[in-house]
Amino acid sequence: MSEPNSTGPAPLDVRPVKQRIWRRLSLVWIVPILALSVSLFAAWQNYNDRGTLITISFENAAGVTAGETRIKYRDVTVGEVEKVEFAPGLGDVLVHARVDKNIAPYLDDDAEFWVVRPDVSVRGITGLETVLSGVYIEGNWDTEADVAQEEFVGLENAVLTLAGQRGTRVTLRAIDGSSVSAGAPVLHKGIEVGYLETPELNHDGTEVIVTAFIQSPYDRRLTSSTRFWDTSGFSVSFGTGGVSLDVSSLASLIEGGVAFDTVVSGGAPVEDGHMFSIFDDEQTARDSLFTDPDAEVLKVAVLFEESVSGLTIGSEVRFQGIRVGEVSEISAIVVGEGDTAQVRLQTVLEIEPARLGLPDGSTTEDAISLLSDFVARGLRARMVTGNILSGTLMIQLVEIENALPAIMTLTEGPYPVIPTTESQISDVAATAEGVLARINALPVEELMDGAIDLMDSIERLANDENTRLAPESLVALLDESRALIANDDLQSVPKDLREVIAELDAIVSRATELDLVGDIDGAIASATQAATNIEEATRNLPEISAQIEALTAKANALELDALVASANSTLDSIDALIASDDTMDLPGALNGSLEEMRLFLAEVREGGAIENVNAALASANEAAQAIEEAVAGLPNLSARANSLVSETQAVIASYGERSRFSAETMATMRDIQSAADSLTALARTIQRNPSSLLTGR
Amino acid sequence: MGSSGTSNGLISAREAGLVACQRCGQVHAQGVRNCKRCDGPLQSRDTESLQKVWAWLVAGVIAYIPANLYPMLLTNTLVEHSESTIIGGVVDLIHHGSVGIAIIVFVASVVIPIGKFIAVIYLALSVQQQSSSNQHGRHHAYEMVEFIGRWSMIDVFVVAILSALVQLDTIATINPGIAAVSFALSVIFTMLAAQSFDSRLIWDADRTQNE
Repeated sequence: MSEPNSTGPAPLDVRPVKQRIWRRLSLVWIVPILALSVSLFAAWQNYNDRGTLITISFENAAGVTAGETRIKYRDVTVGEVEKVEFAPGLGDVLVHARVDKNIAPYLDDDAEFWVVRPDVSVRGITGLETVLSGVYIEGNWDTEADVAQEEFVGLENAVLTLAGQRGTRVTLRAIDGSSVSAGAPVLHKGIEVGYLETPELNHDGTEVIVTAFIQSPYDRRLTSSTRFWDTSGFSVSFGTGGVSLDVSSLASLIEGGVAFDTVVSGGAPVEDGHMFSIFDDEQTARDSLFTDPDAEVLKVAVLFEESVSGLTIGSEVRFQGIRVGEVSEISAIVVGEGDTAQVRLQTVLEIEPARLGLPDGSTTEDAISLLSDFVARGLRARMVTGNILSGTLMIQLVEIENALPAIMTLTEGPYPVIPTTESQISDVAATAEGVLARINALPVEELMDGAIDLMDSIERLANDENTRLAPESLVALLDESRALIANDDLQSVPKDLREVIAELDAIVSRATELDLVGDIDGAIASATQAATNIEEATRNLPEISAQIEALTAKANALELDALVASANSTLDSIDALIASDDTMDLPGALNGSLEEMRLFLAEVREGGAIENVNAALASANEAAQAIEEAVAGLPNLSARANSLVSETQAVIASYGERSRFSAETMATMRDIQSAADSLTALARTIQRNPSSLLTGR
Repeated sequence: MGSSGTSNGLISAREAGLVACQRCGQVHAQGVRNCKRCDGPLQSRDTESLQKVWAWLVAGVIAYIPANLYPMLLTNTLVEHSESTIIGGVVDLIHHGSVGIAIIVFVASVVIPIGKFIAVIYLALSVQQQSSSNQHGRHHAYEMVEFIGRWSMIDVFVVAILSALVQLDTIATINPGIAAVSFALSVIFTMLAAQSFDSRLIWDADRTQNE
């Protein structure tokens, strides 16, 4: 900065001002110039960088805020909303946004915009980040710059296929659009490889057209022989393979979806936009590979004699288990003429030559000649049961060994005819009917009646008061019986009986012994008999008779028969009791005591008193017989006794009346007399009624 | 030089053949180049004063434009990102009910800088046109501009403090925008403009006229 004053004031006035202004220009001016240039540069840059203004019209622009809402392309911010306003008529919301300059050229007519909002669907949650940050506008356009546009119509929903995704877009057509909804998955072998876009009706409204996007690299699986089928919901199929339930993914269950598979190789790769049909189910789709409408089919006829019910159009034709075609027509025709005319059922089969193993390009003639060869070797058609439950039939081409020779007739009728053989129809209905008939024939009703009667009787019996009391009385009876059995008296009866019998035995044996010793018994018996017989005559023996009678009375007083009778009756009644049905129903405890009692009774019967009694009776019988024999010899005996008596009397007379020997002998004699008396009485009783001892009466 | 008598009856140092040091006030005889006391340059009149004033003023005005167009504060919170300009911030403050603070911000950021521009322009023009009216008033205005100019920086300080304090990473951050820098520059430039103004020229005008 020069100082003009230093050279003196004078030049100050004469200096030409104009020239000096430039020289004296302060350096400070650099600052504003710099500031201005910077500002201008910044402004220019700002203006230059300013994005292109575009307008997107939305029906619903909820959440779009001017100055805040961004426009994103593949998650990168490429612009910002500047203004949100209504279109004239308030129909749409116009969103004015600026997008980056370098993006703008790509915004051609394929550009799409939509508002990203949080979305919860079966396939997951998307747009969650917008909950906090607010919505944003997502844009989608391809990577080729075209004629840039500035006005766009926003979409309601997100497009599914982003421009960056690689894959193949194919067109599917379906009769029914219920299985196809936008976003529904496309499955291939169970994994999601793509999705459907929004379905639309075709121009005449007969079909639903939907674009499916198959992501790379799965789209390589698409060939012209690929088949699509509907996997929506679940399918229950009831065919020759039985019942099959098929459920795909949960998403497809709810949203629908399609699946595809390429079963056979050799198809041509497909381009974008290739048209496929959606089949109803996988089976149909797979089968459709063999029913290519373009493929040449061979029609042959089969004439069946029997009913073809169960065979329908579309029924399978199998050759060695492989499906080679289907039934295309069933009709009745008349075969023969005049009297030999017969009605036959003609079934027309559509057979695909390729399925018979013939190479591609084979003509129907090739197939016919092949079939003719087969027929000559025994190929026959027959109906077999396809599904035993549904009763559907299918036609099987089988080679029958040792078949009657036949040829394929080519000339009769419009179709070559394959000879038939016996059908193998397992008619489940008939079998089931037979089973049912047999079941029906069972006397179920009688059985039921009987059962009901029985039930009624039981019920009546059970309801009967007597029945109710029966157990009680029975118990009482049993108690009594038990008490009776337990009674010492009764228990001692056998003992007493045994004692009595033993006594009797002793007596008898003594009597026998006497007999053995010296015919004394016999003598006595004879004497007794004699005494009885000649009671009147032999006055000396009244006492003996009386004694014998007393003995007999005593024996009678024993009331053996009564005892035996009563024991028998007790046994009978107890038996009856035990055998009684009602008793059977008694509780086990009672049965126990019954068993006890039965055992006791058995004991009584077997080893106890009865046997002894019987034995005693037998002995008595023997004794009686002995007595009888003895009695038979009584006359001799009497004579001998008489002589003995007389001898004795003579002895007595010789010994004197008062002698000890005489007294003893007299006592002995008296004993003998009493015994003889008893025996006599017994013998008489037995003689009167010999069986009384046995029968107890 | 020999002329005497002004409208106010004041005699300037120049008229008295003297020159005063602008820094320390030491009075020298005319012709002395440097102050004997502080060695500062001596000038009876800064002939480039108006140039400098205009230059700084223009720079200040230029800087003031982006200061108002661009955001002063960049506020990032978890849910929102906001950019507020000076006027926008004032409006926001009014909406939030802080009228007092709004007034302070408005005065400090808008009224004072613009007032300064007007005052400086007025002074510069008046000197250029050698107006002799209201010399005292103009001098007061000049002093006022010099004094009050520094307070305009209050806005910049607020932004600086906020930016330093509120740095909570993802939760909330405040950053100074371009406007903060522009505004600071604008204030600095206007202060320099005010400083460049040689107030002695105010008093020269009528003399020149009178001469």
